Amino acid sequence: MKQTQILPSSAWAFLIWLIVMTLVPFSIILGMSFLERTELGTILFSFSFKNYQQLFDWVYLKVLLKTVWLALMATLSCLAVGFPVAYYLARVQGPMKSLGLILLFIPFWTNFILRIYGIVSLFGSNGILNQLLSAVGLPKASILYTRWGVYVGLVYNYLPFLVVPIYSSLEKLDPFLREAAADLGAARFQTFRKVILPNIKEGVFIGSLFVFIPMLGEYVIPDLLGGAKEAFLGKVMVEQFFILQDWPLGSAIATMLSVLLLGALWLQNRWASKNQNGAKEVSSAV
Amino acid sequence: MLLNLEAVTKNFGGFQLHPLNLSIDRGEFFSLLGPSGCGKTTVLRLIGGFETPTSGRIILKGQDITRLPPHKRNIHTVFQRYALFPHLSVFENVAFPLRLQKLPSAEINSRVAESLKLVEIEDLKDRRTHQISGGQAQRTALARALVAKPDLLLLDEPLSALDPELRMKMREELKTICKKVGITFLLVTHDQEEALQLSDRIAVFKAGQCLQVGTPKAIYEDPTDSFVARFIGSVNEILGELQGEPSPETGEMALSSSVGTFKIKKNGQPLPRQVSIILRPEKVRLLRSKSTTQENLMEGEIQDQTYLGSRTEYAVKIGNSTFKVFEQELERLKKRRLNTGDRVFLAWRSDDAIVLPQSV
Repeated sequence: MKQTQILPSSAWAFLIWLIVMTLVPFSIILGMSFLERTELGTILFSFSFKNYQQLFDWVYLKVLLKTVWLALMATLSCLAVGFPVAYYLARVQGPMKSLGLILLFIPFWTNFILRIYGIVSLFGSNGILNQLLSAVGLPKASILYTRWGVYVGLVYNYLPFLVVPIYSSLEKLDPFLREAAADLGAARFQTFRKVILPNIKEGVFIGSLFVFIPMLGEYVIPDLLGGAKEAFLGKVMVEQFFILQDWPLGSAIATMLSVLLLGALWLQNRWASKNQNGAKEVSSAV
Repeated sequence: MLLNLEAVTKNFGGFQLHPLNLSIDRGEFFSLLGPSGCGKTTVLRLIGGFETPTSGRIILKGQDITRLPPHKRNIHTVFQRYALFPHLSVFENVAFPLRLQKLPSAEINSRVAESLKLVEIEDLKDRRTHQISGGQAQRTALARALVAKPDLLLLDEPLSALDPELRMKMREELKTICKKVGITFLLVTHDQEEALQLSDRIAVFKAGQCLQVGTPKAIYEDPTDSFVARFIGSVNEILGELQGEPSPETGEMALSSSVGTFKIKKNGQPLPRQVSIILRPEKVRLLRSKSTTQENLMEGEIQDQTYLGSRTEYAVKIGNSTFKVFEQELERLKKRRLNTGDRVFLAWRSDDAIVLPQSV
């Protein structure tokens, strides 16, 4: 192997970008989370775990639990809606498949804020949903600016991120496994439970984790759809920085979320390398 | 009869399976042979229940199974790419059909062990499917398909993914296992040698049509179709026209062709005037000088020769055609050495020629 260069020159630009835009800010946040703040909101350079202790205050713990609960519900709802969609897309052939995939990806070509305002106009107090409800004589539903607004926004926005990994793990599955199971006596549901599910469960779990964790740190959706009353972890974090001027505490929250995300990445890596080892064993066995 | 196909047809895309009638006996090793795209795999999938016939009936042990889904048929398959369950060990793969039947675990253990022993992979039972070789995967797939004692075992080109040496070994074993377990085997293959070696009977397919069903010997020696003759083994073909009437005693008649006039024998079936003579290379003798005692003689020159160890293959040019003949090593060493361009004579007996209508 040649080792004249550590990295190709084009990669240096990316590396510098990575250092300046990600590594440095992250280090600052990490460092700041161990500092204190004065009454006036300026930063006091003394090392302490005070901010992390503060996260266990009931005030923050309640926000954390509420956020985790809402993100969990939203993730499960994404699964409930997304799994059948992914399953259908993986099985169907021909024009319906292309159409389904296009429909799945169209939202990505639309600006995020516009999509959120789409939800506002659907679920607002004079939105399309309520107009329909009053047209049939039902009372108005107040969804926008409640936790339900946040929930709807989360599910809507994160759904494709869960459909895609499930779809791709189903696609990777040998189609003959289904036939083999039926051939050996498994009815449709048995085939699903005993063959399909065990082979895609990692994909489903990782996909769910990658939806769940960013949901925890979500700021824009709760801010725009949840109204002022709903305390959401991501929102609380931003408030620490820009309203309450408690940068160290905000940093501690940010660090905690990052650690969770890194944990998920590590888990995914471990599974990926486990499967790779599997592949190596095949080639050596053959 | 174990399995009966009654006028089964299947149309899809541009493919059409012509009405197929087929009967397979209990304990038989039956092969569906033909080039790719001939419909043999479709027939297998119809029997397995993965496709539904357009018309016709499939009868297994007297029961109409035409519309029965695969999981309700007591027919198991060894898939071409094995289709082992990657999340299960070798043992659990084999135990799969038994667990579905909710058998007591003691019985499952003993039957899986027995099945693994049959295919000689007892020591691999705890391996994951990605930790075994192609040949071992093949054996696992076989054990899994046999463990629940199906009425019929379907094998979809099971040996095609193996390297030649392993393929030969597995062929022997397949035959032994079939006889040992007493289960009816239905093999799909495009490898004529494999079909000849393994089968009790063979059905030859071409373009969605079953051309001939018979024992390997019958298919090889008495093909009813020139495609069958050409597909099984190598052939020399002479196109010609029948002359006069067959002699009442011997059935012999004359044939004129671009490479000479010959004496042939009609075997009963009515033939058109335009016929095709099929000569197997091993039924043609190579002579260095003209002989008058031979029934049919053709003169030509050596175009090419290939040394194959136990025998030598010669390509002999006669007129515009090239004929293929073999000479055993023992024979060759006794005689004059032949070089390209040498004049030689090919002799054959009228009994050894296969006479067929010319295919269009």
